[in-house]
Amino acid sequence: MDLKKLKRDNAVLMASDNQEVMMAILKGEDMVIQNANSTILESWGKGKDVIGKSLFVVLPEILEQGIHTILLNVFKTGIPFHAYEMPVNVIRHGVLEPSFYTFVYQAQRNLQNEINGVAIIANEVTQEVLFRDKLAHNELRYENLIQSLPTAVYTCDAEGYIQLFNKAAAKLWGREPVIGKERWTGSWKLFSLDGAPIALDSSPMAMALKEGRIVPEMEIISEKPDGTKCFIRPHLQLIFNEKGEKAGAVNTLIDVTSIRKSQKELKIKEEHFYKKIQEDQVKHAHELENKILRRTREINVANAILEDKNLELEIAKGKLFSEYARSLIEASLDPLVTISVEGKITDLNQAMENITGKTRAHLIGTDFFEYFTDPEKARAVYQLVFDKGFVTDFPLTIRDHKATDVLFNGSLYKDELGNVLGAVVVARDITEQKLIEKELIEAKVFAELATLIAEEAKAKAESAALTAEVAVKSKQQFLSNMSHEIRTPMNAIIGFTKVMLKTDLSAKQMEYLSAIKLSGDALIVLINDILDLAKVDAGKMTFENTPFKLSLSIGAMLHLFETKIQEKNLALVKAYDERIPEVLLGDPVRLHQIILNLVSNSVKFTADGQISVSVKMINETAHDVTVEFAISDTGIGIEADKLETIFENFQQATATTSKQYGGTGLGLAIVKQLVEQQGGSVSLVSKVGEGSTFSFILTFQKTTQEVDTEPEYQELDRNEIQTIKVLVVEDMPLNQLLMKTLLDDFGFERDIASNGKIAIEKLKSNSYDIILMDLHMPEMNGFEATEYIRKTMDLKIPIVALTADVTTVDLAKCRAVGMNDFLAKPVDERSLYGKIVGLVKKPVFDHEAHTMENEALKRLKYTNMNYLAERTKSNPALMMDMIEAFLEQTPPLVKAMKKSFQDKDWDGLYAAVHKMIPSFSIMGISADFEMMAKKIQEYAHTKQEAHQIPPMVLHLEKVLTHAFEELEDEFRALKNKKI
Amino acid sequence: MIDNQIKLFLVDDDAVFLKLLQIQFLEHADFVIETYPTGELCIENLMHAPDVIILDYHLDGIDKNAMNGIETLDKIKAFNADIIVVMLSSQDKIEVAINCMHHQAFDYVVKSETAFLKLQKIITNIFKYKKLEKTLRWYMERV
Repeated sequence: MDLKKLKRDNAVLMASDNQEVMMAILKGEDMVIQNANSTILESWGKGKDVIGKSLFVVLPEILEQGIHTILLNVFKTGIPFHAYEMPVNVIRHGVLEPSFYTFVYQAQRNLQNEINGVAIIANEVTQEVLFRDKLAHNELRYENLIQSLPTAVYTCDAEGYIQLFNKAAAKLWGREPVIGKERWTGSWKLFSLDGAPIALDSSPMAMALKEGRIVPEMEIISEKPDGTKCFIRPHLQLIFNEKGEKAGAVNTLIDVTSIRKSQKELKIKEEHFYKKIQEDQVKHAHELENKILRRTREINVANAILEDKNLELEIAKGKLFSEYARSLIEASLDPLVTISVEGKITDLNQAMENITGKTRAHLIGTDFFEYFTDPEKARAVYQLVFDKGFVTDFPLTIRDHKATDVLFNGSLYKDELGNVLGAVVVARDITEQKLIEKELIEAKVFAELATLIAEEAKAKAESAALTAEVAVKSKQQFLSNMSHEIRTPMNAIIGFTKVMLKTDLSAKQMEYLSAIKLSGDALIVLINDILDLAKVDAGKMTFENTPFKLSLSIGAMLHLFETKIQEKNLALVKAYDERIPEVLLGDPVRLHQIILNLVSNSVKFTADGQISVSVKMINETAHDVTVEFAISDTGIGIEADKLETIFENFQQATATTSKQYGGTGLGLAIVKQLVEQQGGSVSLVSKVGEGSTFSFILTFQKTTQEVDTEPEYQELDRNEIQTIKVLVVEDMPLNQLLMKTLLDDFGFERDIASNGKIAIEKLKSNSYDIILMDLHMPEMNGFEATEYIRKTMDLKIPIVALTADVTTVDLAKCRAVGMNDFLAKPVDERSLYGKIVGLVKKPVFDHEAHTMENEALKRLKYTNMNYLAERTKSNPALMMDMIEAFLEQTPPLVKAMKKSFQDKDWDGLYAAVHKMIPSFSIMGISADFEMMAKKIQEYAHTKQEAHQIPPMVLHLEKVLTHAFEELEDEFRALKNKKI
Repeated sequence: MIDNQIKLFLVDDDAVFLKLLQIQFLEHADFVIETYPTGELCIENLMHAPDVIILDYHLDGIDKNAMNGIETLDKIKAFNADIIVVMLSSQDKIEVAINCMHHQAFDYVVKSETAFLKLQKIITNIFKYKKLEKTLRWYMERV
């Protein structure tokens, strides 16, 4: 051996730290390690330090394994030793990997060609070993699988030589062909269905391999060596290798003999079985094919490990796709037909069977056109497909029991060589679609109609709402006008009657005048009743919450009836529960009104017997008491069927009631409204001829407040009276005269002005102690006059408003412009006197202006809960929520308003005031203050300092501060109510 | 029925007015109401899928950096153009109303004592039409 070459080889080997090669050189009989590469050291689990030591010392275990005898044998004989595919543990990238190496022990020789050592060379064969194992395993598995299949399967290579067949195939053929020797098929003999013999090299397998032609759903007859025949349906699948070349074919043979036989025997039943069995078999075939395919793929994958894997994948995809095709076709709900070039049906799916109502066997081979109502048109479809290669959405009608409308879509199908084999046409059933189309059109028409109707209805509703609004407004306006127009002259009538009654009269004159006064009073009561109901309707009914003595109140009221009851010779029985606290919070005026109505009813309808009034406490809590008032009589009673409606407006017990007893039928309606608006309830028990009991329940808050003593009865010194000068501002001559008479009677000095303008002129030249101011006047009305007096003339003189129209808006306005009090017309003599004396006598006016203003502000209420009560339906919790929100939001805004005003930050001022405004009306703060705020806002918008701003800001602040206090009180009151 | 409930967002920096509106709408059981004092909070909660938003025009009255009504409106429309927005303002100015309409507001209501009635009427109309549309869409889907 060439020394140089040897040395070079050794060096190359040693230098290669290639992990796939293990290498060690051992010297002498002791096998001293002269050199070893890292791979072999790793496999030994040793380091470089073992070099120079004997292998037997380093790895004593090899003595046991017998390797040392092998090594020594090589050393002695020089015959190389091979150990193939030995398992070795190698560490790669820090991971222990079981690997396989093929070892060669080679004798090393010196220059004298004497053996002086042994070289161990090992090449890694892990991949090969693993692959072969896997392959063997797979082969075995598929072999087993295929063998165990109940369906006959065999494969041929590209040349047609049989490669593999299973037991089922052998059984079907009745023999076992010689693998690799026999071609095309294992059948002994083949015949077509008409009995003509088929040469084995024209068998379906041969046709598929030679010409690539696969005829689907074909049947042939195979004869076994023993002469028995069976019907076979071959199912061919070409196999391609990784290069895309034809590598062979798989043939699945389905034995349809039994089906064939039963077909002849049971024509009708057969259909059912046929389908099922066929499907099963197709399924089997599919499974089988899938399995074979998988195996093929495995083999290809195995091959491709060494070559190219990608191509195989592409092919596999294609194959997979073709396998799905059939099941997709069968699953399709659309009828699907393949037709041959001649127009004969060659294949079809379940849906086609369903729609035509004919079996598959019946349909195959028949003319495609026959199944349509218009065969010519169907022929056109067929021609179109073959001319153009496709057809889309061609409408036809299938000749079935219901003439199904379909749309045809079709295209040609070709073999691998591009020869036209036939056409596939899909018929889509559009019956449903047509139905829905029709429905859609109907729906659209309907929807359009509905929109039209809705629009009309909307317009109608809007105009109706408008009409209703106008109606309500005009009704309110009418009532308000009426109250004014009727009450004004009535004031005069009653007033003068009263004045006249004080003069010297004859008995007759006295009698007539009394009658006039009585009638006038009755008329005023009626007007007030109507007004009350109108107020309830408009949601304007308000209730006072003032301290009053209930027992006194009831006593005084019943006192009014005493004369009348005595006249009718009735007995009045009173029962008052002494446990009721003396002073309660409530609205005594309304309570009067309620009891008055009920008692006067009782008196009116009772001819003899008694009237009893009982007041009983039925519940008491820490905060309030609930009292039941009952008024019973022994009168005519009310029929049972009227009990329900008796509380409605203008209802009386009988149509003749008003003729006999008079009355408007408003009394009970007002009672009901007044009680219910205060959170109480009314009830009635009655029996015709025996009498009625009206009762109502009201809850009053308890209070520790004292009842205000009425200033009315205050007597003044003659001197003081002499000094009182009254200015009456009134446009109606009659009322002027009445006031003049009354004031003269009181002994006051008086002056008359017929409108605000004249009054102001008079104020400029004369001095007065008090002004009585009518509100509605020509030229300058009471509000304007008062505003002028307070603001421009800066006079603190007390002003009392005279008004017939006591609505909340007017009262709020009175307060806003700075009036001190008001009097309702017709003016009650005593309250007129009381108010004048009270206001004039108050020492307040001697004090400095500032205190007086505060005092005046205190007397007026800045907020009212009407709007809120209306909006929340008087729900205390909601009202409290609202007040809370206001009290949280507004005080900081007031602060912001003041601060930005002081800092001349006009934007800030604008923003603060702007945000305040919407809640004014919610809290019932007068529109005048809202106007004031809006004015501030306007000035702030111009961003210029205006002299009007400071007083307005200060005024608004004051007003709102009071409003906060009032609302806090209100909040507490609501809280108590809620508890 | 939950299906028939209308989700309503009320957005106003005026707590009193907001509360009042809420009370008014709460009386009607067919509203589910969420209230927000700022446009920012309204936008953050748009995923609660409101059907209708009643939005104050002047949301930046006190806090100058707050998102104003029109900005909020634009954001709502960007989020989902189907949400119906009714603008609310204390300003009875036609320019403001037109501006709101240009920004896809459904309607414009001036804050007053009758604002609630107007809003109620508007919402009733909205749902009358929505219902019609829905019916039509139902038929369309069947095709």
